[in-house]
Amino acid sequence: MEWIELDGSRGEGGGQILRTALSLSMITGIPFAIERIRAGRRKPGLLRQHLTAVQAAAAVCGAQVEGAVPGSQRLRFQPGPIRGGDYAFAIGSAGSSTLVLQTVLPALWYADGPSTLRVSGGTHNPAAPPADFLIRCWQPLLQRMGVTLDIQLLRHGFYPAGGGEVLASTAPVTAWQPLQLESPGPLQRTRAIGVVSGVPAEIAKREMQRAASSLGPLDEELRVLPANEGPGNVLMVVLEYPELTELFSACGERGLPAETVADQAAREARHYRDSGAAVGEHLADQLLLPMALAGQGSFTTHRLSSHLHSNMEVIGKFLAVDMETREMAGCYRVELG
Amino acid sequence: MKKTVVIGFVGIQLDYAGKGSARWEKWRPTVALCQQEDLVVHRLEVIHDARSRSLAERIGNDVARISPETEFKRLEMELRDPWDFEEVYTALHDLARSYPFDTENEDYLIHITTGTHVAQICWFLLAEAHYLPARLLQTSPPRKKEIANSVGSYEIIDLDLSRYDRIAQRFARERDDNLSFLKSGIATRNPAFNRMIEQIEQVAGRSRAPMLLVGPTGAGKSFLARRVFELKRQRQQLKGRFIEVNCATLRGDSAMSTLFGHSKGAFTGAQQERPGLLRSADGGLLFLDEIGELGLDEQAMLLKAIEEKRFFPFGSDQEASSDFQLIAGTHRDLRQWVRQGKFREDLYARINLWTFDLPGLAGRPEDIEPNLDYELERFAAEHGQQVRFNVEARRRYLAFATSQAARWHGNFRELGASLTRLATLATAGRITESDVADEIARLTATWAEEPTADACAQVLGGEADQLDLFDRSQLNAVIAVCRASPSLSEAGRRLFAVSRVEKKQSNDADRLRKYLARFGLSWGALRG
Repeated sequence: MEWIELDGSRGEGGGQILRTALSLSMITGIPFAIERIRAGRRKPGLLRQHLTAVQAAAAVCGAQVEGAVPGSQRLRFQPGPIRGGDYAFAIGSAGSSTLVLQTVLPALWYADGPSTLRVSGGTHNPAAPPADFLIRCWQPLLQRMGVTLDIQLLRHGFYPAGGGEVLASTAPVTAWQPLQLESPGPLQRTRAIGVVSGVPAEIAKREMQRAASSLGPLDEELRVLPANEGPGNVLMVVLEYPELTELFSACGERGLPAETVADQAAREARHYRDSGAAVGEHLADQLLLPMALAGQGSFTTHRLSSHLHSNMEVIGKFLAVDMETREMAGCYRVELG
Repeated sequence: MKKTVVIGFVGIQLDYAGKGSARWEKWRPTVALCQQEDLVVHRLEVIHDARSRSLAERIGNDVARISPETEFKRLEMELRDPWDFEEVYTALHDLARSYPFDTENEDYLIHITTGTHVAQICWFLLAEAHYLPARLLQTSPPRKKEIANSVGSYEIIDLDLSRYDRIAQRFARERDDNLSFLKSGIATRNPAFNRMIEQIEQVAGRSRAPMLLVGPTGAGKSFLARRVFELKRQRQQLKGRFIEVNCATLRGDSAMSTLFGHSKGAFTGAQQERPGLLRSADGGLLFLDEIGELGLDEQAMLLKAIEEKRFFPFGSDQEASSDFQLIAGTHRDLRQWVRQGKFREDLYARINLWTFDLPGLAGRPEDIEPNLDYELERFAAEHGQQVRFNVEARRRYLAFATSQAARWHGNFRELGASLTRLATLATAGRITESDVADEIARLTATWAEEPTADACAQVLGGEADQLDLFDRSQLNAVIAVCRASPSLSEAGRRLFAVSRVEKKQSNDADRLRKYLARFGLSWGALRG
């Protein structure tokens, strides 16, 4: 079996390259070696959040792994057959539950039977999509593509305390359905969800008001969680269209004014909303792999991120699928097939 | 892959942050060390007493939540006073001795950020002395401006300093400086001599035990002793003075009183109390040159002074004390002296721990040139006048100095004197060929007109006059052969060239050694 060689110093997404490679290696059965992981960074090599994804992937397919230690700049991953079943991963607050889900779920679509995946740790971390994003945006689109998927947020977990839990059930895909997302259609509803745990509800209210002043009228939904799930605060702006739902979020931190948090989420939401593109930056990232697996698909997006580029590069090494990006009026069209 | 195990105290203050969710906003070192993005702690063992059991348990719960990879263990240890050095050290020493370290499979880190400063010191001492096969782990709080950061950073400190390039370089540089200092900046080339200086540097740095310098007169024993003293004083290892005495000059009652002092009225003429050289050397360094010449009574007293740091001043029944570093010098084979009952065996054993052989000039011909440069520099420094050799003059002087014709009985001291003469007589700062020719003539004449200062006189000093001419002539001839031979065996072969043929076993070296021993002489002493 020929090994696929990857350079972990390319692009910005050291972690993204690794996660995509893990998913595709499990699915295709092709082993890979990644070198120079995060070379030149202040803390080079694998971090714990990357290791959680590697360990989860290895558990699902019985992979042989070399170099899975913190600080390692070299990893070799030789997958075995993917086994469906009930999995539970405790990843603490070092990694994000959603990133582990995104790495392992695609593999389970090719398992020998249905699976459940229980991941405990952070569910709403600053540098990862919140669980709500997977549930509201990603999951419906995958269901349209023919994937059986049900993700539930059982408990919130914020950085640094963690303690959250997500449960996903899925099953092997029998037939992929092509998905074309040219335009989201007319905006039907704008919502702001302010979540607080162990911090005053006032903060979430201020964030939602601020978002409204920037985005126009919106429905406010205050989620006050038990204090022991915190401390934590996140603001999510949800845009609902006939075709899909998009979500933009920002996490509150100590010392960061509620208004700044709100502006961050609202600014991203507005950029997307005003562009007319079908999906935002993160959803584009997360759709690329399923579409490549489906063998076809297309979407328009308002920004071509470096994540998307490195993702395409890795996918191109594992799968024989054409990926084309074309610039259109104010946005980009990505077509696979 | 080895597992990472961290052992540390529960920080009663630093790790305490209450039970509310706000505890996650405070930096708690023990929790934070399990939150580092590039460090996986496979096992965390926290030490605490009964009073902080619930705090330790809370920490355990929080660690389980944020770092499921970490196995958490509590070690309950009762410390009456965690600021009491003796108690803490004893407790941690016990822990270090009883802990089942498995260094094949586990990598140990001692978390020093929590616990008292006394505990920190004890951890350090135990790790440094290798009682703990562990490196030290220090966690640091986040910087002030990173308000949202409660994790901070960490640093692993390996006490094996040779692992740090910059520190290792610094040590090497300092060591080179020390070596150069011991050699007074003379770039000596003789490998054996340079090796010896390296050993002296090591011993001087690590030990206060006596040293014994063996070598002919003028080989630089006294000079070296003084440099050792200055090096030790620079390093704050000695605070007192450098006291030097040649034991050959000590005779009779005055020897005792010179060394050990006397009380007022101890003997006729003792009108004043005298502290004596040993007491003057308190906290400093005492250099006893020609220690072989010391009388047996003085030897006994000296032994007591070295071993107990106490002695009786002459005529006094009140003990005096003095703590000094001793360097002894001799040109004799003291082992032989011991056999003949002239030197106390116990004292010899005491000073023979670090023995260094200083070869005479004949044994280090390659060092004549560096010493030449050194002497001229010293002259320039002392007289404010730079003196140089003409190229040809220098070549000629060196050729003579390293030749067989040059006897250099006085070794480096005599070489120094010769160069001082040359420098003094040089006109306009140049030593010319004719200056050199004059000096060679002077040296040759001095060595020629030493009828009484024959080989016996050189090696035995005044005692040579106690010999019959019969013995003295023979000994002179033997010494001459020895000096012209590269080794004791070779000299033996030459001296017993006839009789050895008849022997089944040639034991020339032994015969020669025994012959020399009759005069208290050793091979080394002759080679000056």
